[in-house]
Amino acid sequence: MKFYKKEIAVAVAILGLMVVLMFSAPGYFSRENLTDLFLANAPVMIIALGMTLVILLGEIDISVGSVFAICGVVMGVAARGGSPVAISGMAACVVGAACGALNGALVAYLRVPSIVVTLATMVALRDGLRWQTQGAWIGNLPSGFQWMGTTQSHYTVLTVGLVSLLIVLTALGLRYLRIGRAVFATGSNRAAARIVGIDTQWISFFVFTLAGLLTGLAAMLNSVRFHQIPSNLGLGLEMKVIAAVAVGGAAITGGSGTVLGTVLGVILLGAIGPALTFLGVSAYWEKAIQGGIILGAVAMNVIGNHREKNAADTDPLPN
Amino acid sequence: MRRILTHFRTRLANSRLFPNGEWVLLLALMAEIAFFSAIAPGFFTLGNFFEVLRFSVELGLLTAAMTPIIIAGGIDLSVGSTVGLAAVVFGSIWGNGHLPIWLAVLVTLLVGCASGALNALMIAGLRLPALIVTLGTYSLYRGIAEGMTQGAVSYTGFPKTFLALGQGYLWGVIPMQLPIFLLAIVGYVLLVHRSVIGRALYAIGFNPEGALYAGLPVRRYEALIYLLSGIVSSLAAIIYVAHLGLAKSDMGTGYELEAIAAVVLGGASVFGGRGTLLGSMLGLFFLTVLQNGMHLLAMPSELTGVLIGTLLLAIVSFDRLRTMTVRGRKPVAYLAGWMKRAKERRLITVGSGIILGLLLVVSTIWIVRSVKTSGTAGAKSAAGEPHRPVIAVMPKAKGDPYFISARVGAEEAARELGVDLIWDGPTSLDASQQNELVENWITRGVDAIVVAVENKGSISTVLRKARQHHIPVLTWDADAEPDARDFFLNQATPEGIANVLTDEAARLLPPDGQLAIITGSLSAENQNEWIRFIKRRLASKYPGLSLATVQPSDDDRDKAFAQTQTILKVFPKVKLIMDISAPAVPGSAEAVQQSRRKDVDVIGLSLPAICRPYVHSEVVQTIVLWNTRDLGYLTVYAGWLASQHKIPRTATSIQVGRLGRLEVRNSEIILGTPLIINKENIDHLNF
Repeated sequence: MKFYKKEIAVAVAILGLMVVLMFSAPGYFSRENLTDLFLANAPVMIIALGMTLVILLGEIDISVGSVFAICGVVMGVAARGGSPVAISGMAACVVGAACGALNGALVAYLRVPSIVVTLATMVALRDGLRWQTQGAWIGNLPSGFQWMGTTQSHYTVLTVGLVSLLIVLTALGLRYLRIGRAVFATGSNRAAARIVGIDTQWISFFVFTLAGLLTGLAAMLNSVRFHQIPSNLGLGLEMKVIAAVAVGGAAITGGSGTVLGTVLGVILLGAIGPALTFLGVSAYWEKAIQGGIILGAVAMNVIGNHREKNAADTDPLPN
Repeated sequence: MRRILTHFRTRLANSRLFPNGEWVLLLALMAEIAFFSAIAPGFFTLGNFFEVLRFSVELGLLTAAMTPIIIAGGIDLSVGSTVGLAAVVFGSIWGNGHLPIWLAVLVTLLVGCASGALNALMIAGLRLPALIVTLGTYSLYRGIAEGMTQGAVSYTGFPKTFLALGQGYLWGVIPMQLPIFLLAIVGYVLLVHRSVIGRALYAIGFNPEGALYAGLPVRRYEALIYLLSGIVSSLAAIIYVAHLGLAKSDMGTGYELEAIAAVVLGGASVFGGRGTLLGSMLGLFFLTVLQNGMHLLAMPSELTGVLIGTLLLAIVSFDRLRTMTVRGRKPVAYLAGWMKRAKERRLITVGSGIILGLLLVVSTIWIVRSVKTSGTAGAKSAAGEPHRPVIAVMPKAKGDPYFISARVGAEEAARELGVDLIWDGPTSLDASQQNELVENWITRGVDAIVVAVENKGSISTVLRKARQHHIPVLTWDADAEPDARDFFLNQATPEGIANVLTDEAARLLPPDGQLAIITGSLSAENQNEWIRFIKRRLASKYPGLSLATVQPSDDDRDKAFAQTQTILKVFPKVKLIMDISAPAVPGSAEAVQQSRRKDVDVIGLSLPAICRPYVHSEVVQTIVLWNTRDLGYLTVYAGWLASQHKIPRTATSIQVGRLGRLEVRNSEIILGTPLIINKENIDHLNF
């Protein structure tokens, strides 16, 4: 159990929250509320999976919010142009992957620090989209767009299945696939990874592209819940996702973190906002409480393993 | 010749002034200045020079504070939020506590010190990663600021002597805050480049463990820079408050990323161990000059973001290409060799990366060109044609559907009158960006300024300045102080809107019903004013009705959706959701529709275009609005009339194109009463 200490800390926090809610707002655990919460957080969960991989590499991606918006709008435009929902959804995924590939190419092959690359793409893509759409919403979508031509309950089942599948695949892939182990190796010690024959640049490129693809997928799942697509989707999404991954115990310096932790982190942060409304806390304090929880969870991680090696966050690669 | 060049290259490469190739940035900055001097009206003037400096001070202080942190391999995402917190603390001490200004300044600096200390404690003391800690405090500080003010309060009415700090001039030209800024910069230069601590910071950033083994007090120095960052951020907040004449919880939003961008542009490495203050300052001015020049050229604000992102990538990539080696060779030489061994499987992946990069460049060029052709107002008049009047109209936020539909009417009027229209504003609610744009329009010399005011207190100063320059100033959507503008285009008063909405709610609800309000952002001035009037109306006229809760939606449809779902469950007695933000109405409506609750109605302020399906399906009973297209039309038409001096002071009515005669009352041009839009009339409205 030693290995899951961080995850247990988050799980304890979630349990604590549940106990409080159980006594003061049992309505929180109604089926509708849990379903709504799940659907609202499914996109965050999917993007957080990609972000976990990126952070395991010791990199970061703050452009996900902008990519999310672009993918949503692309999907809407494609659907309005008459392509079936499946094709439009694929278009969203492809565009997401392309944006991820752009980030990945610059990070992996030009070795520009990822925070710089994704800061630049975040601003450029967001403002480019604003400029193109002039803020207009994508409306007049075909009637089969909402729920992908099925019904609300089918969509819910589908999303639950898809998200669970992705979680399991990511977890297993990280553990058993060669590329998964290579992600850990690259994140813990890039130079050593390269010496043992891992193509670290390819790994970086692949992970960023995959993260972009997952962002596109999340945008697709989110878009089909509505009739219209606003062009200002995903503002501040990157902070939400990074916070969830960090709360889940992934080390920002790379090489350490689990999918389980991320899942718990998303659950904790996703549950807390509505919980405050249920508990009757004024909305004005919500942000402060969220900040406090992030700090608390991060502090909890270290208390007890104080002497854990402070992984040198310098890039040991001789350029 | 060649020898001289080589000589300069080695000199540059070894120079202590530009250790990280900052000369690239210096050249880029000079090119930028030359470019804007050539084509942007009023750019190359002393007045504009100092204006750019004035607008760089707050961000510049944060950039200076960020530099040693990044050199030491850390990061501080909380600086922008610290500005917000410090501003609110300052405002509340002065406004609520009625303490003297110097005491307020002192306490604010102490608060900055405390917020820096919390970061320092967690990063240096507990050895937590800086990115995560400051991500947490980024929410925490902003959240405390919002909680303290309950979002609604903003402090204004500071004494003249204090405002002079942010708005006055020394000897008539030099902005008052400039000496403080210079002092801070000199302090930081001494710290980073001329002190033992500075050398240690480089060592820490280069190799933290090595620095520790070398006996450096790593933790103490790290704590020091985060502490300083907190103090300097609060100093920036005080100057910012003096500059805008207002203290509010959302001040400094997004500044952390701009400061990081400036430092990184300046050649610092986010891995630590590299960077100079000179570079950071060059990076800062590169960004602020770009923004200023783009505004003077009347380019849309979004384009600035696209350019900043692209240039940031280009400059950093260029720097990498210049310095990096691939297996012992320069990248270009390596790539050439690599092309010959083209069987490598990764070629495809890299090739696609390159193609994507090219696409980015091409799209930028395309964007720039399409802007050039589509409407750089004023550029045409240089070609010897008779002078076309330039009417500058500012929405509160460009992306808001409400203002987008007003723009259609504005463009219609511009075509009809043959005037050039500059339509620009902040991309999201931002009082300081409004000020900056108006300043730039004054420098540019437009013929009329028409502003949808985000914050009365802060914009009035700069509007008065415009009037001193004999530019007619009009306000629309929300008013400034009456002496700061010539006319207010009054579409409806906040009280009128609130009353119509409340009456609609009362009509739909039983006498003892409950309703909930979803607002845009908790710190938006006009929405808070509406809420105040709604509460007043409820108390005075409908005492049976009760307001269950007020929740924010951040003007985000998806958040409004989630908030409505929660409200419906937490307050089962709520039978009516009132949305006072345009994107929130469809969000709430969708949530009600998906919950299959037939007994809950949605009303609000929004646009027919995005609510039509929900009005037809009777989820949304009523939306209240005036004709936004007519309002947009009026902005340009009235601006044009004012610029031609065609509105006499004593007029009681004026002829406004297709709108017919409009009443003028107490220097307010009245557009008419709000429309009540429902199932019957929505299909007759085309906006």
